[in-house]
Amino acid sequence: MKTTHEIWKRHFPAENSGVHLFPEFEMRAKAVSGEVFRVPGAAEAREALIQLVDTVQARKAVVVESPLQEAAGITAALRSRGVTVYTEAADIAAHADTADIGISGVEFGIAETGSVFQDGYDIATRLVTILPPLHVVFLSSARIVPGITEAFDIISRSFDRGYVGLITGPSRTADIERVLTIGVHGPSRFAIIAVDEEPKGGHA
Amino acid sequence: METETRNLRKEISEKLKDETLRDALGRFSEAYPIARAKAYENAGDIETLRDALRQMKIDTVARIGEVADRFEAEATKRGVRVFRAKTGNDVKEYLVNLCKEKGVQRIVKSKSMASEEIDLSKHLETAGISTTETDLGEWIVALAGQKPSHMVMPAIHLSRFQVAEYFSKELKTDIPPDIAFMVQAARKELREKFLRADMGISGANFGIAENGAIGLVTNEGNARMVTTLPRIHVVLIGYEKLIPTITDAATILKVLPRSATAQLMTSYMTMIAGPTPAMVKRDGKWVEEEKEMHIILLDNGRLRAARDDKFKEIYQCVRCASCLNVCPVYTLIGGHVYGHIYAGGIGAILTAFLHGMKEFEQFHELCIGCRRCTTVCPGKIDIPGLIEELRIRKVREKGLPFVIRKAFDHVISNRRLFHSLLRLAAIGQKPFQDGRLIRHLPLFLAGMAKDRSLPAIADVPLRDRIAKITKKIDKPDRRVAFFSGCTIDFVFPETGESVFKVLQDLNMEVLFPEGQSCCGKPVIALGDVETTKNIARENIRALMEMNPDVIIAACPTCTESLRHYAELLREDPEWGSKAETMAKKVREFCSFVAEEYGKRGRLTKTGGGPKVTYHDSCHMKRVLMIDQEPRQLLEAAGCELVEMKDADKCCGMSGIFGVKYAELSMPILEQKIANIRETGAEIAACACSGCMVQIQGGLDKKLPGVRMKHVADILAEKIKD
Repeated sequence: MKTTHEIWKRHFPAENSGVHLFPEFEMRAKAVSGEVFRVPGAAEAREALIQLVDTVQARKAVVVESPLQEAAGITAALRSRGVTVYTEAADIAAHADTADIGISGVEFGIAETGSVFQDGYDIATRLVTILPPLHVVFLSSARIVPGITEAFDIISRSFDRGYVGLITGPSRTADIERVLTIGVHGPSRFAIIAVDEEPKGGHA
Repeated sequence: METETRNLRKEISEKLKDETLRDALGRFSEAYPIARAKAYENAGDIETLRDALRQMKIDTVARIGEVADRFEAEATKRGVRVFRAKTGNDVKEYLVNLCKEKGVQRIVKSKSMASEEIDLSKHLETAGISTTETDLGEWIVALAGQKPSHMVMPAIHLSRFQVAEYFSKELKTDIPPDIAFMVQAARKELREKFLRADMGISGANFGIAENGAIGLVTNEGNARMVTTLPRIHVVLIGYEKLIPTITDAATILKVLPRSATAQLMTSYMTMIAGPTPAMVKRDGKWVEEEKEMHIILLDNGRLRAARDDKFKEIYQCVRCASCLNVCPVYTLIGGHVYGHIYAGGIGAILTAFLHGMKEFEQFHELCIGCRRCTTVCPGKIDIPGLIEELRIRKVREKGLPFVIRKAFDHVISNRRLFHSLLRLAAIGQKPFQDGRLIRHLPLFLAGMAKDRSLPAIADVPLRDRIAKITKKIDKPDRRVAFFSGCTIDFVFPETGESVFKVLQDLNMEVLFPEGQSCCGKPVIALGDVETTKNIARENIRALMEMNPDVIIAACPTCTESLRHYAELLREDPEWGSKAETMAKKVREFCSFVAEEYGKRGRLTKTGGGPKVTYHDSCHMKRVLMIDQEPRQLLEAAGCELVEMKDADKCCGMSGIFGVKYAELSMPILEQKIANIRETGAEIAACACSGCMVQIQGGLDKKLPGVRMKHVADILAEKIKD
């Protein structure tokens, strides 16, 4: 599991942010073809993911662990479903291009735009995020900031070096006749599993 | 770079026949303003956001040297190799050497206008390094052997059928013109290129001095591939993209996606500070290694602009291209004609600095100065103003073409001669005249009167009617000097009479200074400052010797020009202060009359009159900021006001442009006429004599049932003699 998540919690604002912004976040994320599944706890998170896996009949997954995924036992659940799961950087590098699904964790969401913020310093995270046709992220539903400005307040306090970014819906283009087409180079489906229950410690 | 002499008029007439382009740009220009407005709905006050961006950029360019040094130092500290390139050739040399040194054979590129600017891909290919554009639009344009025609949507000029042809040829298989299918075909083809590339080259939407990060704003995900998969990442970034802090990026991101593509945020916004790990295959095994990262900071004319008091303003551009999307000329002919590498008005300015004045001179005339771009530019750049400044500098350096020089020296700056010629023209035009309009012209001039009748010069100019129309006012409220401008004087003298009537009805003494000449706008528009100064002095003398309380012009361009004399003659010891005193007295007719009507309780809606639609002249609305007063006056005169679509969009006249580029001016006029037709109005009103020439000419040919009137005419009709 990557170790960066804690850094981004440090400056998450106590005021003006939180789960009350989730409905706006969800509306905005859906408006840009993001799929949003809000669940109360770990068990339901696992269920939501398994449903997604079933609908795309995923056989191969590349996964970078995060506390929410650990808490929900996602990797084990996938394996018990018969899905081949790769979690090591070298394996991910070898298999991300042919995997059916990529799974990772994100740090927070932005209500104004329906974006999620991810720290992608870790190379495995970036491969999982960009190469498979379906990308699923785990987000804590309480970690929503109002807007771009507030997001950059957090980012500016912790971003010294590395590779960070916002993801807002699936990959898209309108380069031919301005017709919106989903899924160019990156994933054609982008799903957010938002969990109300904060993970406690985790299994790691 | 070699400058080929372009045949702009030929290029224009070819593009006007390009149905695909016309259709695509036409639909886009309809959809864009609505989509943009929607995108800004949840952004807070848009003007506050624009001001914030503008101010941040102004502060940055003022200390660009320091910001660039910090950016370099912070990036270097984090393990980046930073190279400062003075020219495009420096970039090319650096990259070719780097590729040789590192054994790079395959490059994938994400979008970079700076690389287009220096024609980088072609150079790398020539050096034997396979270079693939991976942004879908850029890839299409590269396959077509073309250049982007729009900064954000490079292939907007192509249809799906054309794209299918290029794809079929490249992929050596029959690709159907199905957009979703073609996108998938591109994904498959380019995925292989990403996975096999040794180097990724990206541009940057911003570079942050505070931590040496670069930012990328993209939708397709190709930039994430380019910056993640290959073992070497090279960033090409211009100085104008540098910003001091991470939070300054938020100032850009609040507006860039909204203005560029009407998105609240693009699919991917990525910031990279220093090299990060990459996976590299060694002896058949994937191992994690630190990536090699280079940043090339490109000057190529940018630093000269930063040091220029006027042109440092181009640093306020974030390349959103919203200025193109609302430009009446760009949306007709696209960026291949209206542009060099960078398109549109902003493109003309950038071209002057990045490619040189020779390239600028080839297409700068396509800016008609309508100022629509200034209402949307998130950095609030005065694009038309900067183009005018470049024209002035061009003339200062190289002078005017001989024929124009002679005309200005001997005719326009000599009022008596100029006016005599106009009188002669009134006689000379007789063979072509049909009532008050010229409907046909012989041979080479035919284009000018093809879809628009040209107004005839009046038999008796306003200046010869003054004695007849002047009413003696015993105790006038004010003494008003009327500056008619050439068009009202010689083409629409009846409108001049209406102005007299309306003002005299307000108990004002109206004076017509005989010595007044052209306001100078057509001259300054061609960049001739010295002649304009002579004209200004003559007009100041003529107007001020009447000792008026107020100076009224019934044309926004004349109003603006008279006020501009203060700035024009600021350094002139004798005339500077006179110009300033005069400027304070200058008022535009409608706003002045509305104010006076208001004082007298006459500015109320009355009704019972004809159905009228009002055309906002560009300079009335966007320079003088007057749009409500003419409408209030029309309603006070009893008119039933019906708004037309795009009331404030240019009619296509724009001074000399409407004549020189008649074929381009016509489709703009046709849109205006169609919008007037839609309203079902009996009268089209405006408050600018230039627009009257154009719109009246269009109505006469295409919509003869509708009459063109100046607001003053409508007001005068309500006044009993």
